[in-house]
Amino acid sequence: MTTPSDLRVGSALAAQTNDTSITQVFRYSAATWNTHRIHYDKEYALKEGYPDVLVQSHLHGAFLTKYCTDWAGRAARLTDLSLRVRRFAVAGETLSIAGTVRAVRAGEERRALVDLDLVETRGSDGETCVEASATVEVPRSWIGEGVLP
Amino acid sequence: MAVDDAVRTALEREVGVEHEELLGEISATLTRRYAAAVGDSDPLYHDAAYAKSLGYANVVAPANFLPGVICWSEGAPYDRLREDGTEADTHLPGVPAKGVRVMGGGEEMHFTRPVVAGTVVSRRTVLLDVTPRDSKQGLMLVARYQDEYVDERGQELLRSVRTVLLR
Repeated sequence: MTTPSDLRVGSALAAQTNDTSITQVFRYSAATWNTHRIHYDKEYALKEGYPDVLVQSHLHGAFLTKYCTDWAGRAARLTDLSLRVRRFAVAGETLSIAGTVRAVRAGEERRALVDLDLVETRGSDGETCVEASATVEVPRSWIGEGVLP
Repeated sequence: MAVDDAVRTALEREVGVEHEELLGEISATLTRRYAAAVGDSDPLYHDAAYAKSLGYANVVAPANFLPGVICWSEGAPYDRLREDGTEADTHLPGVPAKGVRVMGGGEEMHFTRPVVAGTVVSRRTVLLDVTPRDSKQGLMLVARYQDEYVDERGQELLRSVRTVLLR
């Protein structure tokens, strides 16, 4: 993703996709000591009414975090991320994240705060898996002319 | 067994009770593994020399690393696992050891300071509230836990409110 230079309310950020896999879901469970069977035991997942093992809610959060930090780069800082899981995603699903600038606010000194709306959708049917919002502190020079008071 | 009024009552007794836990020193291997599992190759998370060139003492953890780690101990013995595989004794104060299925429902995180490998982290946890909700499978409880992560100097690193669904 490119560094923004003319951010305004309504600006769309480039989309990012994550191709999940059973291996990734297992490795994420291992790295976080997440022993919930729904992430590695397909038989258990079927018993719970799901078609396969599920992507962890925190892995959804990690994808959203990466989306924000990739976009923001070193000159900016992710300060807040809120997410709500709306639908499950199974391992193997391709998840796409899209972001839009909801608001731009003045920050301290030569900084500004950019509020983002984020949506993560699953590739198999286009349904929303996660709705999220984030705040990123950015250099004021990123903000389009006349946007800030 | 599923959630019922007894489970709800037990959880409601836990509302407002603060728990503090020393999580330990954040190792570079753990944070690197976390970033690798996510598929994030940012050198800030993997390359100590690069991180030091930016002024950090070591590699930095991805922002949601701390709440992403479910268990910070060596792990519970098998007879302390719930049917769903989650550990009965960790990080969900008020949730019974048996008979309750646990799912993550979302999280609100505020990232106060970067978490650098070598930092010693503690966590304060409090159950904020419990709300009953009807679901297709019957009664569900929505519990909201607040976690505050601090370093060895007591400086806040991250605070979050996580939503946990109990069925």
